[in-house]
Amino acid sequence: MLSRINSKFIVISLSVLLLLYFVIFPMGVLLYDSVVYDASINFDNYRAVYSQDVNWRALTNTINLSLLVMVASVIITFPLAWLVGRTDMPGKKNFRTLLVSSYMIPPYVGAIAWVQLLNPSVGYMNNFFKDILGLSQAPFDIYTFWGLAWVLTLFYSPFAFITISRAMEKMDPTLEEAARVSGASPLRTLIDVTLPLMAPSILAGGLLVFIAAGSCFGIPSIVGMPGNIEVLTTRIVTYVYMGSIEGVREATALAASLMFLANSLLFTMTYLIGKKDYTTISGKSTRPNIVELGKWKWPAFCAVGAYGMISVIIPLGSIVVTSLLKSMSKPVTLDNLGFESWIPVITSAQYLECIWNSVIYAVLAATIGTALSLFVAYLAVKTRVKGRTIPDLLTVIGGSTPSIVIALALVITFSGNYGLNLYSTVWILVVSYLVKYMTMSVRTIAASLSQVHSSLEEAALNSGADWLRCCKDIIIPLIAPSVIAGWFLIFMPSFYELTMSLLLYGAETKTIGVLLYDLQTYADAQNASVLSVIILGVVLVGNLILNKITKGNVGI
Amino acid sequence: MSEVRIEHVFKRFGAVTAVDDFNLVVKDGEFVSILGPSGCGKTTTLRMIAGFERATEGEIYIGEKCVSSSEKGTFAPPEKRDIGMVFQSYAVWPHMTVAENVGYPLKIQKVDKETRAKRVQEMLELVHLGEYGERYPHQLSGGQQQRVALARALVAQPGLLLLDEPLSNLDAKLRESMRFEILSIQKKLNITVVYVTHDQGEAMAMSDRVVVMSKGVVQQIGHPHEIYTNPANKMVADFIGLVNFIPGEAKGDRVFIKGTNVSFANPTDITGDATIAVRPENISISANGGQLAGTMVARFYLGDAVDYRVQCGDNIIRVIVKGADVDAYPDGSTVYLDFDKTMVFSKD
Repeated sequence: MLSRINSKFIVISLSVLLLLYFVIFPMGVLLYDSVVYDASINFDNYRAVYSQDVNWRALTNTINLSLLVMVASVIITFPLAWLVGRTDMPGKKNFRTLLVSSYMIPPYVGAIAWVQLLNPSVGYMNNFFKDILGLSQAPFDIYTFWGLAWVLTLFYSPFAFITISRAMEKMDPTLEEAARVSGASPLRTLIDVTLPLMAPSILAGGLLVFIAAGSCFGIPSIVGMPGNIEVLTTRIVTYVYMGSIEGVREATALAASLMFLANSLLFTMTYLIGKKDYTTISGKSTRPNIVELGKWKWPAFCAVGAYGMISVIIPLGSIVVTSLLKSMSKPVTLDNLGFESWIPVITSAQYLECIWNSVIYAVLAATIGTALSLFVAYLAVKTRVKGRTIPDLLTVIGGSTPSIVIALALVITFSGNYGLNLYSTVWILVVSYLVKYMTMSVRTIAASLSQVHSSLEEAALNSGADWLRCCKDIIIPLIAPSVIAGWFLIFMPSFYELTMSLLLYGAETKTIGVLLYDLQTYADAQNASVLSVIILGVVLVGNLILNKITKGNVGI
Repeated sequence: MSEVRIEHVFKRFGAVTAVDDFNLVVKDGEFVSILGPSGCGKTTTLRMIAGFERATEGEIYIGEKCVSSSEKGTFAPPEKRDIGMVFQSYAVWPHMTVAENVGYPLKIQKVDKETRAKRVQEMLELVHLGEYGERYPHQLSGGQQQRVALARALVAQPGLLLLDEPLSNLDAKLRESMRFEILSIQKKLNITVVYVTHDQGEAMAMSDRVVVMSKGVVQQIGHPHEIYTNPANKMVADFIGLVNFIPGEAKGDRVFIKGTNVSFANPTDITGDATIAVRPENISISANGGQLAGTMVARFYLGDAVDYRVQCGDNIIRVIVKGADVDAYPDGSTVYLDFDKTMVFSKD
């Protein structure tokens, strides 16, 4: 008994130390570096950074954009979630899949698509409107504040959609019915009952969007930077790319600001939700209370369909079509389409090396991460050891920290200043993926472990199985799907990761995300599209497998 | 106070008929229960009366007003039906105080604040929650929340009160006292009530009349005593109270236990294969002679009674005797049974 407690204690200490060293310590170093100026602790660094107009503008742009995207996402998402979750609109199931699918598209691929559609010189959509409306000038310019807000909204509103529709389906419909029999009209019921009860979830979904939009680098770098719309993340990368000590120091101040912004909001959100959880007691009445739309059925179908077209199908179509164009300068006709442009990409040694690198790093991160997640989840769910949830909490902190902040923290911590030097190695990339994505796999595995009631283990022990046998015969078979799902939940985002890779890659460790970013910035739209299609293919296949394994319960 | 008339109401979900030709008139001030196992269509029927489901066919009247008619195409939404409703899950709004919950229907009717406060206080006192107006629902027990729901359903003095399994989330003791409380409030206000439950004890104890439903079809409508002593069919006999079913053979005005010459009166016109039904408390047991001989198989001491299992040929017959001595008939001993109040049903 004593030895078992001791071994548990050792495992827990090791995983805590490991996570502390790779998650918390780098962030501490980042914070420390940001406030040390002339060998003393003060805020001169911040003062210096924010006294520059461009940085101050980046901060206000980040906040304004995130606010705008948050509000727009909630306004768009609430009716969508209601239509999909609570009405008899045709095709609900497919719409749900469609509406959350931009969640699995890498944001920078979305940005590339919208640049193709709405850039003022040759954007497909701009040309289309110019032709049918007879305009002399392009009606839209993507390289603006509003263009950036548009793309961010389309790509991050699924965060709000998922949160809000989940809450909507969880709400006891008799709460609304009680208002109806009390004499309230449907509209009055919405205002007096539905909205107040949903408010915490709406706020939570909105804050998630705010944080995601503010932490995003891919979209602002591709859509914002050409038009000089700077945000915190793009400023940080610019500073780091300067390569000087001053540059990195200024970057730390910006990164620390971003970290503070994201984490304080996350904390507020957790607090708000914890405080006002209207999870309601309900008996059999949880049957979904489906509203009959009547004559509004098909108009609603068309509206949601149009949104799905605009947010997912048209951008993806644009990328696929561009990748297949024989000549970029000629119009899109069937004659001008073919796989010719794919040949140089899939035969180029340089490209293949990047793709291969990404696969290897993602497999490494997913495999190590899943193994660690198993430990962390088992500790948190199945043991009664003191401090069992600390490792879990550390992975959550990693996952909620903006990628750019993690990358910068790892750069300054593991370049040899504090012993370990991982700079330009595979391992610094793998570590960054683990810090950012392990929490997803921990969540999934912990959820399924908590479903394995301890009586199932006890029954096996009672039947004469020892503990290892019990693991093999009972626990592992029951949680296997979630372990595989956890693996994919790390593999897929690691495979197409851009932001952290961009700061952490070396000459030998270029990834597909970085390659794609280079192509886009050198205005090689065609090869960028081909690579995007390859990434989308991998993500699609990964999600199909994930869906099959978890029967649709987990997905990116 | 309203009469409710339900005429030839059907509800179909695709190919499934959830409610099949439902007919009922609930008289002014009457307490009627709809009783049946889960999935029998009782809740669907109630939800059609409330206006949460639209009847596929048929008409529903509340008072003089036709609230639902498939022929005329009329359908009044729930808020236009002048009803109060209490749900199984209480459905008390967690973001409003008890007083705000109860006062909500009056607020919708734009009753002025002073009158509203007075009415709310009256209702809260009626349900014994006079002191609780400023509390929030999460500070209340389940039973108290259900009383808030009841007060809210009654505050606007609706003509009709609908209750959808209101007591099934409460513990056994509280359930019994709430039965009494609901009943006394109903008598005090003289309001028409339609009460849905799967608990036969609840339906028997509270109702003026009981509607027994199964598989969407009304099996019997009647006074609780009538339903218990004179069930319309096997399903009703089985669902209400305890009953033994014994295979029998009907010949003219007698019905024989299969394979024996023990017989009882057959008031029905069934001939040939039949089912004899007898309630365990209507069988007496003795050691020295009776209609049917059997062997004692098991005995269960229930405190106020003893619950026996007696093997008679192929049948195991359940007998409940009040105040019996559990040791009077040891296992394996031969006992004799006498049947009273036997019923005869068709075989299926």
